[in-house]
Amino acid sequence: MVSLARKNLFHDRVRFAVALLGIQFAVVLMTLQIGFFLKFMTNASVLIDHIEADIWITAKNLKNFDFGLPFSEQKLYEARRVPGVLWAEKFLMGFSYWKMPDGGQETIQVIGFDPETRIGAPWDIVEGNLDDVKSFTQIFIDEADRERLGFPRVGDEVEIIGQRARIAGITRGAKSFVGSPFVFTSFKNALKLSFIPPGQTVYILVKVAPGYTVEEVKEHLARTLTGVDVYTKREFSWKSRRYWLLVTGAGIALLSTALLGLLVGTVIVGQTIYASTMEHLKEFGTLKALGASNADLYRIILAQALIMAVIGYATGMLLARAFLIVARRAGLEAYLPLEVLAGIFGLTLLMCIGASILSIYKVTKLDPALVFRS
Amino acid sequence: MSGPWLVLDRVSKVYGDGASAVVAVREVSLELQGGRFVLLMGPSGSGKTTLLMLMGCLLKPTRGRLFLFEHEVSALDERTLPFLRRRYIGFVFQTFNLFPALTALENVELALNLKGINGREAQRQALALLARVGLSERLHFLPRDLSGGEKQRVALARALAGDPPILLADEPTGMLDSRTGRQIVELLADLARTEGRLVFMVTHDQRVRDLADDVLFMEDGSIVARESADDLWGAVFRREGR
Repeated sequence: MVSLARKNLFHDRVRFAVALLGIQFAVVLMTLQIGFFLKFMTNASVLIDHIEADIWITAKNLKNFDFGLPFSEQKLYEARRVPGVLWAEKFLMGFSYWKMPDGGQETIQVIGFDPETRIGAPWDIVEGNLDDVKSFTQIFIDEADRERLGFPRVGDEVEIIGQRARIAGITRGAKSFVGSPFVFTSFKNALKLSFIPPGQTVYILVKVAPGYTVEEVKEHLARTLTGVDVYTKREFSWKSRRYWLLVTGAGIALLSTALLGLLVGTVIVGQTIYASTMEHLKEFGTLKALGASNADLYRIILAQALIMAVIGYATGMLLARAFLIVARRAGLEAYLPLEVLAGIFGLTLLMCIGASILSIYKVTKLDPALVFRS
Repeated sequence: MSGPWLVLDRVSKVYGDGASAVVAVREVSLELQGGRFVLLMGPSGSGKTTLLMLMGCLLKPTRGRLFLFEHEVSALDERTLPFLRRRYIGFVFQTFNLFPALTALENVELALNLKGINGREAQRQALALLARVGLSERLHFLPRDLSGGEKQRVALARALAGDPPILLADEPTGMLDSRTGRQIVELLADLARTEGRLVFMVTHDQRVRDLADDVLFMEDGSIVARESADDLWGAVFRREGR
């Protein structure tokens, strides 16, 4: 069939360009905000998700991972005695201060793990040997935080709350959600580089033995250990994400902007398709006189919406990519897996089809006498 | 089919209801058959266009019965009417109503597509139809690049797409100069006489009465007079060129 939808769209190039601009605006805004939001959510639980523990034991009423509070190391030995616990390890996260080359200070999050078992260790080492942290004051920092920390290199000596430390290596993908760089070291070193008192831990990580379910071991631990909370990995991950998403409203703000993009895009596209339909109303009437059914007319309107969605999405994504490159240079990362990109295409399609509904309604109510008016 | 193709039996069309009701067509009865070129004349607002829309299955009568071949249009549901239009009727409009984004060839092809003829066959038929109206040299021109007469020829070729037995024309000469207008009307008359179609044309143009087989006069929604070329009066009209 001669593509009236396509030809009509391209015939009025200015109108088409305006509609595309609207879709591109919506696609860029949705892509950036959803990408930032997902990265935001991923970062909020990045360590929880990467560490292979099935269960996390925390101080009572903890709000999220980043606000970890110390409790007695004794709980570790109690946990190890609970049936169904394959292993249990202490794990530390404490805020501290990094002395910058210019004399200033940068807040950091010191992460302490057991270098023998490597439970809780960084998972992607770019440079250096993890065994080095067994030695006193050897640390790993993430490549994403090097600029924040004054561009230290492997082998450099730095100062953390008055203690000397040496950069043993560089990690990748371990970027803290709150923005304070992660500094990985042994549990023993971490106690010295943070304000956590000796004999205390911040978390206990538990692996469930074969033959036991995570839920039953969690319940058993919760019954046995007093003064602490016990979470499955999934629960603690969601608790940390939920805090930043709902309690602080930061995630909601990002999602709201994405929604706003969708709404503004829908209005622009709807207005454009509606104006185009009104302008071509007589043509739709002529089509009816030629024998076109209402369904034929809907198909033309929907084809217009589809063409705009595909071109708008493709060009919008190119623009979004350019924005993301610039954002990455400024230290702002987005997380956009393939299924999310497909979802944004689905939303774009939905937006364009939704925007056509008013036009479809108008065509349904078309007065046949229109075609006879001069 | 030997009988009448289009039968109107006391057909009325009323717009609105209650005190604001307007009777556009009042109890019109007609029997029209193939091979005739019929003119419908009358003052503005007399109901000519409404009658044309009823005959073209674009409207359903408020009262009375309308038959198109064996189909009782007045009894059919709205979803069946497009089928009847595709099968039996071609429209020609005063303002041409061509699709501005499509070339002459594409305008005709689109009408063929709507009638289920696609691809190469649609192109072949569209080329033949445009040749039939003398526009083989203007196939790839957009409507804006065609003269008024050429646009109406494209519209005529489009109306002939799918070979409908009935052509309904609404003041097809209204936007044309008298010479071009007459050429178009001659073409319409020829389609009735040589191809056996029923061509029904609404017009104000007295100068083309001599080409018609029948002339109907409408006033206040009713057919108030009829002339036939077979009548004496019709012969006088033709001789005097009125």
